[in-house]
Amino acid sequence: MPRNRVTVTGSSSGRPMVFAHGFGCDQTMWRLVAPAFEPDHRVVLFDHVGSGGSDLGAYDPEKYGSLNGYAADIVEVCRELELRDVVLVGHSVASMMAVLAYHRAPELFGALVLIGPSPRYVDDGDYVGGFSRTDIAGLLDALDSNHLGWSADMAPVIMGNADRPELAAELTNSFCRTVPDIARQFARVTFLSDNRADLHGIDVPTLILQCSEDAIAPEGVGEFVHRQIPGSRLVHLRATGHVPQLSAPEETVAAIRAFLASGA
Amino acid sequence: MGGTGAAEPSGQLDRLLEEDPADLYENAPMGYLSTLPDGRIVKVNRTFCAWTGRLPEDLLGTRFQELLSVGGRVFHETHLVPLLRMQGAVREIAIDVQRLDGSLLPCLLNAVELRGPDGEPQLVRATLFEATGRRRYERELLAAQRLAEESEARSRTVQKVVFDLAAATSEGDVASVIVQRSRAAMRARGAALVLVQGEAGDPQPPALRPAHSEGLSRELLRRLREAAGSRLALELAQGVRSIVLDERLRGDQPELATAMAETGLTELVIVPVSADSKRLGVLVIALGDAAPGQLISLVEPGERREIPASEIDLLYTLGRQAGQALERVRLHDETVRQAERAAFLLDAARLMADAADVEDMVARLAELTVARLADVCVIDLVAEHGTARAAVRHRDPARQALLDRLREQHLPAQAARHPGLRALREGRTQWVRDVAEADVRTMTLDGAQRETVRELELVGVISVPIGIDGRRLGVLTVAADRHRPPFTAADVEVAEQLALQLSQVVDKAQRYELESQTSHTLQESLLPPAPPAVPGLRTAVRYVAATQGVSVGGDFYDVVELPGGLLGLAVGDVVGHDITAAATMGQLRAVCRTHLADRPSPSALIERLQASWSLLGVQRMATALFGTLDPVSGELRVASAGHLPPLLCTAGTASFLPVRPTRMLGAPRAATPALEWAGVLPAGSTLVLYTDGLVESRDADVDVGMDRLLDVAGRACSADPDALCDRLLEEMVGEHRPDDIALLALTRV
Repeated sequence: MPRNRVTVTGSSSGRPMVFAHGFGCDQTMWRLVAPAFEPDHRVVLFDHVGSGGSDLGAYDPEKYGSLNGYAADIVEVCRELELRDVVLVGHSVASMMAVLAYHRAPELFGALVLIGPSPRYVDDGDYVGGFSRTDIAGLLDALDSNHLGWSADMAPVIMGNADRPELAAELTNSFCRTVPDIARQFARVTFLSDNRADLHGIDVPTLILQCSEDAIAPEGVGEFVHRQIPGSRLVHLRATGHVPQLSAPEETVAAIRAFLASGA
Repeated sequence: MGGTGAAEPSGQLDRLLEEDPADLYENAPMGYLSTLPDGRIVKVNRTFCAWTGRLPEDLLGTRFQELLSVGGRVFHETHLVPLLRMQGAVREIAIDVQRLDGSLLPCLLNAVELRGPDGEPQLVRATLFEATGRRRYERELLAAQRLAEESEARSRTVQKVVFDLAAATSEGDVASVIVQRSRAAMRARGAALVLVQGEAGDPQPPALRPAHSEGLSRELLRRLREAAGSRLALELAQGVRSIVLDERLRGDQPELATAMAETGLTELVIVPVSADSKRLGVLVIALGDAAPGQLISLVEPGERREIPASEIDLLYTLGRQAGQALERVRLHDETVRQAERAAFLLDAARLMADAADVEDMVARLAELTVARLADVCVIDLVAEHGTARAAVRHRDPARQALLDRLREQHLPAQAARHPGLRALREGRTQWVRDVAEADVRTMTLDGAQRETVRELELVGVISVPIGIDGRRLGVLTVAADRHRPPFTAADVEVAEQLALQLSQVVDKAQRYELESQTSHTLQESLLPPAPPAVPGLRTAVRYVAATQGVSVGGDFYDVVELPGGLLGLAVGDVVGHDITAAATMGQLRAVCRTHLADRPSPSALIERLQASWSLLGVQRMATALFGTLDPVSGELRVASAGHLPPLLCTAGTASFLPVRPTRMLGAPRAATPALEWAGVLPAGSTLVLYTDGLVESRDADVDVGMDRLLDVAGRACSADPDALCDRLLEEMVGEHRPDDIALLALTRV
C-alpha cells in the first residue's frame, strides 16, 4: 500500500494497533510512542494521502474534501492487512477520522484511542470549540505564510523521487511539509468539519486522552466528547500542548496501556 | 567591517570589537528567547522586549505560544513543536507575535532544541527577526498568486463547461452540466436551471420550468417560480442579481423567504441564461450555511459574503455559454422532431384512409398518437346528447387504468373550464403549458380525480376542436407527462393538423352515416308492411339493409290483392345506393299500385311504366319484375324489365323461370314489347322473387351467385317460405352485405 506508505512492525501475532497522525506532519509523529507497543502488538503506521511519504498523485480533492475520504482509507488499510479487533489510535483530527472509520466498518475495530479529539473547532451557540471563524481564517493565513518557502525544486524530493540527494540536506522542516494546495485543503477540512453527530453510536471501549493547556482541543471539548460517547474513559494527561505523543511519550504510552489492560 | 589582518590595526575598531557579550545578547538586532520544552520563557533579550512593548518580568514564565496569534498558536502546536522534537531545529518559520497593544509583529523564527545526555529536551533557543516589510511583500505576492489562481480556476471552470457543453446533445445534458459546474465553482448549496417555456411573442406570461436542479427543495423551486411569475422579463433583463434573505424579502415574499430559511439558504443568485437577445431562462445559484456533512462556512451565520465582481463575470459567462448550448441542442432537437412530426402526420393520414369505420379509426389514431406525439391521447366525439368518449389511450399501459378511471364516460360537462370543453365551446385550441394545481382543478370533479391527475404527472395539455364549417364534431386532447420534453408550439401545430385531418374524415363519415340511416328509414317506411294473408298461399318477405354505409339501395317488393281475386307481385331495384334511389323506389311502388287498379297484365304494366317514366320525373333507371298469380288455380304470369329471373322450388329441385327480360325501366324503349311468361305454380312449390343483393358479391361474378342460389335453394326447398328465406339469406350472404336485399317467397299449399 504505497499510497499511504503503510509500515507494519512489531509482533505479527499481537493485537493490531493502527496509528493515525493528525494535521501537520506524518507518521513520524508516533516515533516515540509506537515502538513501546511493538513487543506485544502488530503496529501499523501510515501517512494520510497528501502528507509525508504518501502518493501525492492519489490526492483527489473531491475525496479528501471531507474527513470521510481519509476514514475510507483507514478502513481500506485495515482490510488490506486483514486486521481484526484493531486498536485504532487517532491524534487530533485523526481521532475524528477514527470515529468515522469505526462507523464505516465497526466489525474491524475493538477499541478507539482519541488523543486531543475535537468534533468541531468553531464555536456554535452553546458549544465551545475554542475558535471563532476569524481565528480559523487567521490560521489558514498563517499556514499560507509558511508555504512561501515552498519551492518547486523541492517537489521531487518531497514526492519521494529523491534522485537529487543534494536537495535533501536543504530540507529543513521536511517531514511537516507538503504541497501548499493540499495542506490548505487539509487545514480547511480539519478545522471546518463538524463531526459532533458522529460521536453517537460508538459501541467499543473508547479512551480519550486530554492534555493540559491544549490550545487546539481545550478541556471542555474533551469533556464534551466524553459525554457524547457513553462508557468512554477520559484521562487527563499532565502533558501540556496538543502533542503528548511527542512531549510526554511515556505518560501517553502508560495511559494507553492501562486502558488496554483494563479489558479494552 | 574590515579584515583583522590589516598592517596598522585601528584602535577604535578594536575597542568596538571587544564587545560585551551581555550587551550583544540584550541589544542584538534580533530577538532572543530561551524557553523550557513546554514553551515557558526563561530568558529573553531587551530587543524582543522593546519590539513587543513588554517587560522582561512579564515575559518570563509566560509560554511563548501565548504571545502568538491564534493561527500562530495552532501552527506552533501542529508544526513547530513536532519539528523541533523530531529534527532538533527549525528555520525560517513565519510567525506573528502579539505586541502588548494587541498589534502583530510579523517575524521569522529560527530555533534549536538543546537535549540532555539521554536525548530528552531541555531548552529551546529561538531567534526572531522582524520581517514586517518582507512579510508584507510576501503577503502581496501571495495575494497576487491567489488572484491568479482564482482567475485560473475560473478559466478552468469555463473551459470545462465549454468542453462538457460541446458533448451535450439534449436540453437535459446542458442543464446538468451547467448546474453541476456552476454549483461546484460557487461552492453553492444548490443550483437549478429554470427555463422559460413557450416562445417569444406568446400572449400568456411565460411559464418557468426547472430543467435540472441539485440540492434545492421542490418547495423552494415552486416558490421561486411563483415569485418570478410575471416579473420574469424584468428579472431577466437585470443581469446577475441576488435575492438575499433579509427583512425586505420576508415582507415582500414571505413564502419564498420561509422556503429559503427552512433549507438554510441565505442568498439566491439569479443568472440570466440567454442566446443572442433571446432570454431562455435563469440559472439559480443557492448560497447558504453549510449543509450537514459540508465544511463549515467561514462566513459568520447571518452574514453575507459580497460576491466579487470576478465571480459575477464568471456566472454571466456560464449563463451565456448555457444559453448558446441550449439554442444549439434545441435547434437539433427541433430538426429531428420536425421530421418525426411530418412522418407522424403522414402515417396518421394513411391510417385514416385505411380505417373501416370511425370507431376503428379513432382507436388506431389514439394508439399512433401516444406512440409518436404524446403520453396521453383522448378523442371525444359529439354525440346526440353531449360528447361520447371515442378513444382514450396512455403511452404506458400501466397507466392506462388511471386514465380510464378519470374518463369513464365522456368529458365532464360540469367542469366548465376543462380545456377539452373550452376548446369545443370556443372552437379554438387550448394549450396548458405548465399544469398547475389550478389547472388540475379545471379537469376534475372531485378529490379522487385530482389525485388521479396528479398521479398522471401531466405537465402539458393541448385540446384542439374537431369541426368543420362551424359544426362541432368533437375534440382531440393530447397531454405530456414530466418524462417527456414539454410541448412546443410545433407540437400544437401537429395536434391542430391532426385535428383538421380528423375533422374531414369524421365529417365525411358522419354525413355518410346520416345519409345511409335516412335512406334505410325512408326505405323501410316505403316498403309495404306485411303481405296480405291469402287463402291457399303462404307468403314470406324480407328486406335486409346493406351492412356497410356505402350500399343503400332502392330495393323493393310488393304483394297486393287485385280486384277479382288475383294477387299482384312486384320486386325491383332502383339504380343507385342513396336517398334518391330510395325515394324513387317509393314513387315507383306507388305508381305501380295505381296502375294495378286496372289489373293490367305484367307486360302491360311494364309498357305503361316505360311510357310514363319521363312523366315521373325520376332520373334513375330501375329493374323490376311483375307478376300475377291466381291463388286458386296457381296460374302465374310474369314479365321482367331487366330483372333477374324468378326461382321456382319444386320437390327438392330449384330452377329459374325462363322469363325473357325486356329493357330496364327508364332505359330507351325496346322496339318490341315485353314478353310474358305464363305457367302454373304447382301445389307445394315455392316461387322466389329477389333482388341482385342476394346473388352479387364483391368478389364473385353474378353467374356464380346464380349457380349457388340454385344449389342452396335446391337443398333448402320446403313448404315453409319463411324457413326458405332464412336459409337463403344465411347461406347466400355472410355477415357483411355489400348491397340491400329484397326477397319475396310464395308457397302454394
